[in-house]
Amino acid sequence: MGSIRVRLTVLYSTVLFGLASAVVGGIYLGLSRSLEDQPVTQTWTLGQLSRTATGQIQFTRTEMLATLSDFELAVNQRALDQLERYSLFALLTLFVVSLIVGWFVAGRVLRPIDRITNVAREIQATDLSRRIRLQGPDDELRDLADTFDDMLDRLDVAFESQRRFIHEASHELRNPLAIMRANLDVALADDQADVTDLRETAEIVNRSALRMTRLVDDLLTWARQENLSLRTDPVNVGVAVRGVAREFETPAAAQGVTVRCGVENDLWAIGDGPALGRAVANLLANALRVSIAGTVIHVRAGRQGNLIFIEVEDQGPGIALEHQEKIFQRFWRGNKSQSREESRSGLGLTIVRQIAEAHGGTVVLDSKLNHGATFRIRIPAVAADAPTVPLVLDLEK
Amino acid sequence: MRVLVVDDEIDLADAVARGLRNGGYAVDVSYGGEDALEKAWIVPYDLIVLDLTMPDVDGLEVCARLRENPNVEEPPRVLMLTARDSLDDRVAGLDAGADDYLVKPFAFVELEARVRSLLRRDAGSTGATLTVGDIDLDTSRLVVKRAGATVELTTKELNLLRYFMTKPGVVVSQEELLDHVWDENADPFTNTVRVTVGTLRRKLTSEDGHSPIETVIGSGYRLIES
Repeated sequence: MGSIRVRLTVLYSTVLFGLASAVVGGIYLGLSRSLEDQPVTQTWTLGQLSRTATGQIQFTRTEMLATLSDFELAVNQRALDQLERYSLFALLTLFVVSLIVGWFVAGRVLRPIDRITNVAREIQATDLSRRIRLQGPDDELRDLADTFDDMLDRLDVAFESQRRFIHEASHELRNPLAIMRANLDVALADDQADVTDLRETAEIVNRSALRMTRLVDDLLTWARQENLSLRTDPVNVGVAVRGVAREFETPAAAQGVTVRCGVENDLWAIGDGPALGRAVANLLANALRVSIAGTVIHVRAGRQGNLIFIEVEDQGPGIALEHQEKIFQRFWRGNKSQSREESRSGLGLTIVRQIAEAHGGTVVLDSKLNHGATFRIRIPAVAADAPTVPLVLDLEK
Repeated sequence: MRVLVVDDEIDLADAVARGLRNGGYAVDVSYGGEDALEKAWIVPYDLIVLDLTMPDVDGLEVCARLRENPNVEEPPRVLMLTARDSLDDRVAGLDAGADDYLVKPFAFVELEARVRSLLRRDAGSTGATLTVGDIDLDTSRLVVKRAGATVELTTKELNLLRYFMTKPGVVVSQEELLDHVWDENADPFTNTVRVTVGTLRRKLTSEDGHSPIETVIGSGYRLIES
């Protein structure tokens, strides 16, 4: 902090000193030249006018006075010397005063920076609640402080969401852990437990371990998606969707469910093909889980203006209106006891939304209770003949 | 002592219920807040082991609504179970009327110890051992001694004796015993209470033929204080 203040002070003084020296020097030079240019020296002739006998006036030179130039010169020189002395003294004083004034002015100008530094120093990674809130005129420093505050706001939000996520994740992991521990404790303490009891305990523990594994897998996927940028290649969405739909045909058929695929060709978007595929796979897995034998799952992809849509429609039980916003939240599961049997993590739709938003798109749900559900992803399209336009994915969202 | 275990995690609720039953408690189980409230509305539970986060009605609300139950003289003790461990969560739980708080995952022995401690508050005793007259009941190790000699009891008889010992000298009716010592699977029309009280009395009878439990005709039974 000190060095910039010193530098500003020295700079300020030097500039002022330089300017003052130039001005004083100019005055001095000009003055000295004008003094030399105009020699005031004149020759004075002292004489006597007298009237002669003839009546004529006669000038009789009695004395020739010496020229004053030497004297004048000496006086000029003295004046100039005096000027020089005063000027130097004034310049020196000016320099000292300017140093002092400069020091205070620089300090005053730099005070907001001091404040910014102090706030930045006080901020711990765990507490981002401090703000600079710089008062004063709307200048560059105020701008800097406001920018800093904005950055802190964003960081605060990001940290808070991270914290909440860790909190939720640990909560989700604690439940299966608690199940394991309680079952093992009870089984071990019960000296009358027979093989059937122990086997049942083992199955419960196994189920919980499976659930934790699934959860950890999905957590990792989610975290990777969160932190790594997605690829930004041209993707033929139609091909990607068709590929995923085909993978689901066999497991669906085993359940007596038909997957029907209506996908347009030439659906080009910029993004991450595997990620989009995963989003579609999550939607299909959801659809398949709620579908009963004899029903159909429709997978559609097409273009609407500048947008590509991907639709997965099931004929399952649908989702009640009050749950429609919640289903995209992390760890939300409709029927907890049922979803536990299926080892669901509650992150599937969250991941779908994350991927859609990473592509600058959205995912919406259209559903009525007992009338099936349609999930629709919309992402921006690029023209088929220009599939190489770069697009910056805004992963901040 | 009758306990209700409430958790939407079926495997956890069942395990806790099983462990408590092995410890001699009469245990009912609920897998949701709504169901728990319905049960607690009718049955005067001594203790409810209650999960905080449940999809239908959460633990805090169950806790609050239990206090409004007009059918029971005093609301049951509540031991709150939760995976949330922040200070705010604990405070909220205790404010809502939970008597104690246990964070998942927990060691079962700790849960047992807390259950014992909460039930002891009713009995007005401070240690793990209940004493009435010359009968000592160690609620931790489940050992009963009459005049220094160990008496072998089944878990049901233990639970029955424990209930009597929390109300020494008070006449306890058959219905009350059925409410507090038997779980919801007991058939109220059998003479199971009479039979169990009979065997307990026989086991506790001293050599001189003196029994600590007496029948009060027309009202029930009483544990003699000294």
